[in-house]
Amino acid sequence: MIRKKILKTVTGIFVTAMILISCSKSGNKTNTGPPSGDTDTVLVNLGTNIIVPAYQQLASATASLDAAVTTFNAGPSLNTLNDLQTAFKNAYKAWAGCSEFEFGPATDLFLTTHFINSFPTDTVTIKNNVGGVTYAIDGIGNYAAQGFPALDYLIFAYGNDVTLARFTSDAKAAGAKAYMAVLSASIKTKAAGVVNAWSKTGGNYLTTFINGTGVDAGSSLSLLANAYIQDFDVNLQNFKIGIPIGMYGPSVLPIAPAKVEAYYSGLSVQLLVAQVQAYQKIYLGGLNEKVAASKVQNGSVSLDAAIQTELSTLLSKIQALPDPLSAGIQQNDPSIGDAYTEIRKTTVLLKVDMSSALGIKISFQDDDGD
Amino acid sequence: MTATNYFTRYRHIAPLAVFRIMFGAVLFISTCRFIAKGWVRDFYIKPAFHFPFIGFEWIHPHGAVFMYTLYALMALSALLVCLGLYYRIATCLFFLCFCYAELLDKTYYLNHYYLVTIFSFLLILVPANRYFSFDVLRRPSLRATRVPAWTILMLKYQLCIIYCCAGLSKLTSDWLLLAMPLRIWLPAKASIPLIGPLLNHVWVAYFFSWASALFDLSIAFILLNNSSRRFGYFLVIIFHVLTAILFQIGMFPWLMMSATLIFFSENFHIRVINILRKIFSIPSPSQHEERLPEFRPTIQRLMPGFLACYFLFQVLFPFRFLLYPGNLLWTEEGYRFSWRVMLMEKGGTSFFFVKNGATGRKFEVNNSDFLTPYQERMMETQPDMILQYAHMLKEFYQRQGIDSPEVTVQCYVALNGRRSRLFIDSSVNLAAEKETWFGHKPWILPFTNN
Repeated sequence: MIRKKILKTVTGIFVTAMILISCSKSGNKTNTGPPSGDTDTVLVNLGTNIIVPAYQQLASATASLDAAVTTFNAGPSLNTLNDLQTAFKNAYKAWAGCSEFEFGPATDLFLTTHFINSFPTDTVTIKNNVGGVTYAIDGIGNYAAQGFPALDYLIFAYGNDVTLARFTSDAKAAGAKAYMAVLSASIKTKAAGVVNAWSKTGGNYLTTFINGTGVDAGSSLSLLANAYIQDFDVNLQNFKIGIPIGMYGPSVLPIAPAKVEAYYSGLSVQLLVAQVQAYQKIYLGGLNEKVAASKVQNGSVSLDAAIQTELSTLLSKIQALPDPLSAGIQQNDPSIGDAYTEIRKTTVLLKVDMSSALGIKISFQDDDGD
Repeated sequence: MTATNYFTRYRHIAPLAVFRIMFGAVLFISTCRFIAKGWVRDFYIKPAFHFPFIGFEWIHPHGAVFMYTLYALMALSALLVCLGLYYRIATCLFFLCFCYAELLDKTYYLNHYYLVTIFSFLLILVPANRYFSFDVLRRPSLRATRVPAWTILMLKYQLCIIYCCAGLSKLTSDWLLLAMPLRIWLPAKASIPLIGPLLNHVWVAYFFSWASALFDLSIAFILLNNSSRRFGYFLVIIFHVLTAILFQIGMFPWLMMSATLIFFSENFHIRVINILRKIFSIPSPSQHEERLPEFRPTIQRLMPGFLACYFLFQVLFPFRFLLYPGNLLWTEEGYRFSWRVMLMEKGGTSFFFVKNGATGRKFEVNNSDFLTPYQERMMETQPDMILQYAHMLKEFYQRQGIDSPEVTVQCYVALNGRRSRLFIDSSVNLAAEKETWFGHKPWILPFTNN
């Protein structure tokens, strides 16, 4: 009967549709299966040639840092302190190339700005921990007493002579050594864990990353772009410059130079430069291709060219910042305001124009659209 | 009225029963999915601030226990609608719970939620529980086999309005001449199987743009026509399955595919019910006599007028945008509740500044201190939400001791692949601007097409 036929056809189509959809949905999320359809060469390049090497760099630099801490603790001297400080600078700069990737293993294993780079560091808690108070390194309330800012405080805050004394003759020297060892070990473990999670022989997140094609919430491009823009917008714009120059809040002092990143070592500008270079590298690692493919124009030039120019301009403005940054802020150096304006322009280009051209939603919510 | 009147003549009730079952089932699944995804917590419990609709500023979420109870009630009532058990109470309960949740925060407005609101309202009006339902098992006297045609027709006409409005809203130069935003969205899906590689071609974006506009404009008529209905439903499936594959639109395609079944003949629906009977081994009712539901005389009298007003509103309301100056996609004045689906790729970023009128000190606001990232994203491109947020900031800083805070915003928005530009007049003190029901907002900067 013809009616029966209609019904069968309709049911058939419905079921086929269901299967098609569930396939296409799961295709995005599976961890180990072969890539569905074409692989996205941009994801391959970003994962293989940019993200994994950045983490490897961080893992080796933090391992060296941990070794330098061990050497220093075994025999505190001006030499071992200098070596430790150098190792610290290298590791901190390596972090500037990784803070852009706060998704996947980094979030799972706490290799995040919250645990690795919360500044200004919580000196009260550090002193308590050094003094023998019981603590959990990643426990609530301890996040601002660890990571690079805590080490920055321990090995730079008092000048070399006093620092050496604090690790040798001071009553709490043993506690200081122990806490520093815990700090560097914690960063090292987290970095090594993330490298392992991305590696083919470990968690193989690289394959997950490469297979997570598309631009929906949860796709690799969406995760990366969101993390990248969040790092720029919040960590760089707000925390590293905006707050120290007094942009936020009615109650804070007009300026707060002590709130810059790496206040004690004065590495602020070097770290900013490293971070902006990382943004450039990531952008040119394939995001540029996708933006160029969208053919969006920015006046007479393409959006891609506009973003590349903007990132170069930003880099030159950051390189022109007074060193150390905190002193420049204290003296109201006009180049800081300049750089901040440039950061603003870049924020708009990345957050609005780039994400729009990529078709990515800037939000960390997995939502339905319509 | 005579029994031969097209609207009041009696038709078989089966289409209503099937619609009730499908709709209830989809809503039950969609509500459970909403809860399972943690959205009750993320959308209504976590955020400190909300963006209620105008006129409903007095409703607020009431904490975790209340919100989860609300959604549990919603899921339960959807299930009851599906089963046809305590149908009147269940439809009313679902409608009220759903409206309440939707009115809490504009951030989460979706056309398909509006569609759910509308259909759950229409279901209150029709006796869809009087056939193949638990209510009939419970009280066999409720059983009816035929209902006035309007109860089925109004569901069909509502769907026709939705498709036609969605089609008309696609008749813009961005959609038809630039193939925007599909031109941005489709290549992003190039890695899906089968059709993926095609999506990189610009002509495919044009094809999809024109085909979907044509589909939306014509599908109502194809489905209404007896001879083309099967073909029409085939198109419905193709269209909605494609949207489900290509875009992240949740339950919407399933909702539409089940709702459009209503266009099929009553014999089709009787057959569906017979199959369901077989699957669940429910015996066919012994009595075969025709039974008509009784409507109260007042309802009989008032219903035509009421439905006429209702449909007049449904037809006119989506076109209120014509009364506003400027580009609708840019200003979004008259954008919601108008079946404008997937029409734009719009993104923005905003820097809000608060100035202490007394001291002259001006500082920037960190939006993430007040809003969730999702709320922030939605706010940054929608002027009425920008204004609401400015008022939130004003009240917050007044409580902080700033007597007359001035709130200004530097907001940049990119629309459909154009370069971002300033969206809101950054010299206007938004704290002093008032929200109106339908008034134009003169502080939205005009859209310039470069």
